Amino acid sequence: MANKRNATIVVALITAAVVAIMVWRPTVLIYGVQAAGLYASIAIPMGLILGIVHIVNLAHGEFMMVAAYATYMVCTTFGIDPFVAMIPVAAVTAAFGFVIYKLTIRQALKAPELNQLILTFGLGISLTQIANLVFTSQTRKISFDYVSASVDVGELSFGVYNFVFVLIAILMVVGLRLFLTKTTTGKAALAVGQNPKGAAIVGIDVDRTYGLVFALATAMIGMMGAVFITRSSIFPAVGSPFTMKSFCLVAMAGIGNIPGILGASLLLGISENFLKAFRELRGWSDIVFFVLIITVILGRSIKGKKA
Amino acid sequence: MKFKSSYLAVAILAAIVIAFPAFLGAYPLNVARSIMTYMALAISWDMLLRSGQISFGIAGLFGLGSYASALAVLRGGMDPFVSIIFAALLAGLVAFALGFAILRLRGMYFSITTLALMEIFRIIMQNLHDFSGGPEGVVIPAVIFNGSSTALYWLCLAGLFITIGVSWYFEKSKMHLALTAIRNDETSARSSGVDIFRYLLFAFVITSMLQGMMGAIQIQSYGFTTPDTAFDANFTLLPLAMALLGGIHSTMGPMAGAVLLGIASEWLKLKIPYGHLVVYGIIIIIVILFMPQGLVGLARKLMRGSDTKGRKAGATHE
Amino acid sequence: MSKLVTTGLTKAFSGLVAVNNVSFAMEEGEILGIIGPNGAGKTTFIHLVSGILMPTSGRIEFKGKDITYAPAHVRSRLGIARTYQLIHPLENLKVIENVMIGSVFSRDKSLKEARRSAEAICAELGLERLGRDTTQLSILEIKKMEIARALANEPEVLFLDEVMAGLNSDETRQIIATVQRIARERHMAVGVVEHVMGVIRELTQRVIVLEAGELIAEGPYETVSKNPRVIEAYLGGAA
Repeated sequence: MANKRNATIVVALITAAVVAIMVWRPTVLIYGVQAAGLYASIAIPMGLILGIVHIVNLAHGEFMMVAAYATYMVCTTFGIDPFVAMIPVAAVTAAFGFVIYKLTIRQALKAPELNQLILTFGLGISLTQIANLVFTSQTRKISFDYVSASVDVGELSFGVYNFVFVLIAILMVVGLRLFLTKTTTGKAALAVGQNPKGAAIVGIDVDRTYGLVFALATAMIGMMGAVFITRSSIFPAVGSPFTMKSFCLVAMAGIGNIPGILGASLLLGISENFLKAFRELRGWSDIVFFVLIITVILGRSIKGKKA
Repeated sequence: MKFKSSYLAVAILAAIVIAFPAFLGAYPLNVARSIMTYMALAISWDMLLRSGQISFGIAGLFGLGSYASALAVLRGGMDPFVSIIFAALLAGLVAFALGFAILRLRGMYFSITTLALMEIFRIIMQNLHDFSGGPEGVVIPAVIFNGSSTALYWLCLAGLFITIGVSWYFEKSKMHLALTAIRNDETSARSSGVDIFRYLLFAFVITSMLQGMMGAIQIQSYGFTTPDTAFDANFTLLPLAMALLGGIHSTMGPMAGAVLLGIASEWLKLKIPYGHLVVYGIIIIIVILFMPQGLVGLARKLMRGSDTKGRKAGATHE
Repeated sequence: MSKLVTTGLTKAFSGLVAVNNVSFAMEEGEILGIIGPNGAGKTTFIHLVSGILMPTSGRIEFKGKDITYAPAHVRSRLGIARTYQLIHPLENLKVIENVMIGSVFSRDKSLKEARRSAEAICAELGLERLGRDTTQLSILEIKKMEIARALANEPEVLFLDEVMAGLNSDETRQIIATVQRIARERHMAVGVVEHVMGVIRELTQRVIVLEAGELIAEGPYETVSKNPRVIEAYLGGAA
């Protein structure tokens, strides 16, 4: 069967590429996987919202930025570790997200998709500027010893802390799968995502489900914001590249396909690090996501024409 | 040809605006140029919006025009005035290539890809050190027209007039029917013979050319630019807020919004040096939620009485 | 030559076969009824012929020319027009503009020409005050506007998808008379999808019956309505 043959060829090519990279410069693979974990953890909440509430939140990265700043304040004021602060921060971010949903996004849901784009765009800008007002554009950072943990394997030495993102991403995928398929609320959410009108007819409170899913996704972003500040410095505009890359990954995986985001992230993370391995090409790594998303869109529109 | 009194009013207004340099000093003319630039960007953004497509890439195409013009002069020895035309054409070409790839999927795919434009172009300009001057930017040998504030004002005004003219043409010609039909119901549009892809591509290319043109005028007027200033997110943010506030899907609305917010922006910049842009973000949110037709739409509703039903900003009946 | 011919036309939506191997022809000057129970695939069939959907297999010919995969706007130019069951007037255009849309793009008319012909068509249909917003129209007027837009296309093949729905008997009679007259005058082939059998009986010369996507009967209404398989499909028969 042509499909099976194509799949085997693709798998073989990918394995060959992976082996080649391992031999040539293993750090590309290692850092690529770590970056993939980071991107995936941030993209998965967007995938959740897009798959169930069917809106793109252009303020996605800004929610993470807000959580990061909140964590920064909590940690510098009370001296606790972000991983501890993560729980209250996630809760606060979730509440924040829920309120935003009730006040703004819910109204726009009655209007077509495009109004929501402008709305969340305005939201993102407002959040960035408020952060600018309160914190100015100066970057903030907290240092932790465990971040610089590294491991030596043969001649190779690399940081291992960032694998925590891989762990988080996998936990998110597994957790969401369990939630969506095993719990009543989760199954209701899935139903709403597939057919909101049908779900309403069978008695599911669609609005409540949307609010819940939005809050859940925002909690996940909030959690990511807290972890993010452990290894990166933050500034008001830190979120926006993540919004775009998250969308790129969600688009690549296909709406509703959350595990697919992992694969897409690997592609993005490894490609970016591949470029970073060449000193002259380092600055170009941030273009990779754009190339990927154009390719995906082109591919889909060509396929769409044939259908 | 009916002689409408409104045409007379427009002509008089235009004459006054053209005559500004006669009685305004350099600083007010500067402010006026800034407002006119944003106004042109707001109008051109609205032109594409009329088809239902939201572009967040104004800053990207504007900056592209700036760099195209600057580099054409610096590396190609082009005449500054000609470089403006060149920049517009280049922006159109880039839009054509990009639109060809992403306009079939449209909707959020189109919008978010345009959002990435300013980042992408900025990174490209930053990386091509030798060609584009890298992060330090480019300086052109001379400001166009020797920096005469009157000439610069008229140059900017010319750009604005061209934009208004094209927008007005879009409203009076078949484009109006095509774009509105596409926005309201693509299926009906297609059944009526509208080649949706072609019309969207055309609108995208034309509006990008206008945005590139204004970017070129900008850089020729100021003499230098850097990746950060050319691709400043403000060039997307302000025109959006202006068009929304004034009233989208019209030429008048973005003009009114630009005048209002343009003047307010000068005042705001003094009062709140850091983060005054938050006002624009909030304006966008409030307009979308509570008055999607903007001020012009509101005025129209008041004049017509209580005939119109509900919100009209692209809302479709279910 | 028949105006429109479909051969083995099939549309499958990953598992659900909505239109199954439908072959038929429409001749110039005839009014054809397309009937069948709900979900039989009538609207999907029209979508396939008008180009809103692409078939999974099969062939569509218009005056001998293969249009199976031609995009909708191209078919509109060729002269295939249709109305929609779920009416969606273009709410940001005036009534007259809604009608003009039918001819501006497919017939390359100037705005002035299109306006003139739109006004003429609306006069024929009895649609007045064309400068109104579409929100101010009654159901009958909206239907007339839809038909007017389709007619502005000056089509050779026209499909009317349940235009009588929601109209009272007077209004229905109005539309029937108009459709008959226009079809005769313009030598169109008209396909009419209806649930009200009285309309089908009065309006059409020939009827095709779809059930679960398949063409199960064809012929004059009198014959088809007595066909046991058709009666069974409707579970109790027609009006």
